[in-house]
Amino acid sequence: MSNVEILPLLLDLLQDMALAAVPAAGFAMVFNVPVRVLKYCALFGALAHGMRFLMMRAGMPIEWGTLIAATAVSFAGVWLARRLRAHPKAFTVAAMIPMIPGVSFFTTIIALHQLGTRGFDAELFSVALTNGLRTFFIIGAIAIGLAMPGLLLYRRRPVV
Amino acid sequence: MSEKTPESNIPPRAPLTLQEHRAATDLCLQTGILLMQHGVESAFVESITRRTGFALELDRVDVAIMANAITVTSYAGPHSMTRVRRNEDRGINMHVAMEVQRAALAFESGEIDRAEFEKCVRSVKAFRYPRWLVVLAIGLSCACFARLAGADWTGCVFAFAASAAAMVARQVFAHFHFNPIVGFFAAAFVATSICAQALLQSIGTTPRLAMAASVLLLVPGFPLINGVSDMVKGYVNTGISRIALAMLMALATCAGIVLAMSAWGTWGWLS
Repeated sequence: MSNVEILPLLLDLLQDMALAAVPAAGFAMVFNVPVRVLKYCALFGALAHGMRFLMMRAGMPIEWGTLIAATAVSFAGVWLARRLRAHPKAFTVAAMIPMIPGVSFFTTIIALHQLGTRGFDAELFSVALTNGLRTFFIIGAIAIGLAMPGLLLYRRRPVV
Repeated sequence: MSEKTPESNIPPRAPLTLQEHRAATDLCLQTGILLMQHGVESAFVESITRRTGFALELDRVDVAIMANAITVTSYAGPHSMTRVRRNEDRGINMHVAMEVQRAALAFESGEIDRAEFEKCVRSVKAFRYPRWLVVLAIGLSCACFARLAGADWTGCVFAFAASAAAMVARQVFAHFHFNPIVGFFAAAFVATSICAQALLQSIGTTPRLAMAASVLLLVPGFPLINGVSDMVKGYVNTGISRIALAMLMALATCAGIVLAMSAWGTWGWLS
């Protein structure tokens, strides 16, 4: 890849990571994550979203990209959890918030509601099904990615 | 009961009296319930509760977690004791969760003594960010979501204003102890109504993206992730109840969105 192609990609990546860091920290504040841990929420949120952005650019499906990004962040979370002596979930969940497909989730429900009021419509049904399945798989990928250290390494012993 | 450790130079400890047994069980329950009330996943609640029990010199602790109660059975010598405590949801608060976890871990490893641990568990004060700061942070977050989805700057401003207003609505309803379902419904109505103005007046090029982003503060992400994690780790009961509650929240939010769109006669979603 030449420099001409790499630079715009890098800029896109930086923008993506910066835009993901803000909601990760913002939602961490709704979850009342302590002040000194907020920066890790922002960092992990940016890392996760940036990783997924790169993998999707490389042509990977969004669910697999989410799974890998969530797995990476949860391993980083284990490292931090041992330093802070707190469960990794306390800060990794907030970092996952930018990856949650909220628009798809609400689109599914609104489409289902419309199916109820307008009657069956193939296009509407397809919208509901596609968005619903995407939501389902991405949330599953996030939760399983976050559980990865426990599934792979910490099978019979606690993380902290 | 035999000692848990193989080292024989530890003198066999005196059996707990009934008062001591009761106090230890109660402290276990308090630790568990605090974690549960503030949104920690079931596997970790059970593990911390059990480990606290061992640190309190109980011989064995069994923990059963239900959707809105926790049961602890503790064994000391020939006696056992079962306690149930109702769980009232206090909202997600990772600060309380982290404080309790750290105290329990420090007590387990012997860094603090029992009195200190008990003081920490009994008197932990829930830290909350100032409301205006949360409103600002959520507004910025939703503006970033709008930008990530490709909205223009006008769209981002609308997403900021709408989601900040929605957060205020959510806080007001929570302050008056409304069921969160009511609060989410009202917040979604407020956010969509504000963004509907952009759509009606054709302000900016991407009012639809702003409308979608402005309700993202109402996605129940934490219960959804916790629910799936619970089920992955074998706590299907609590997992299902968390997901069911999250679904109800999402339904209430969508009801608010649809009502606002019908009221303003403009359809920003699904078109």
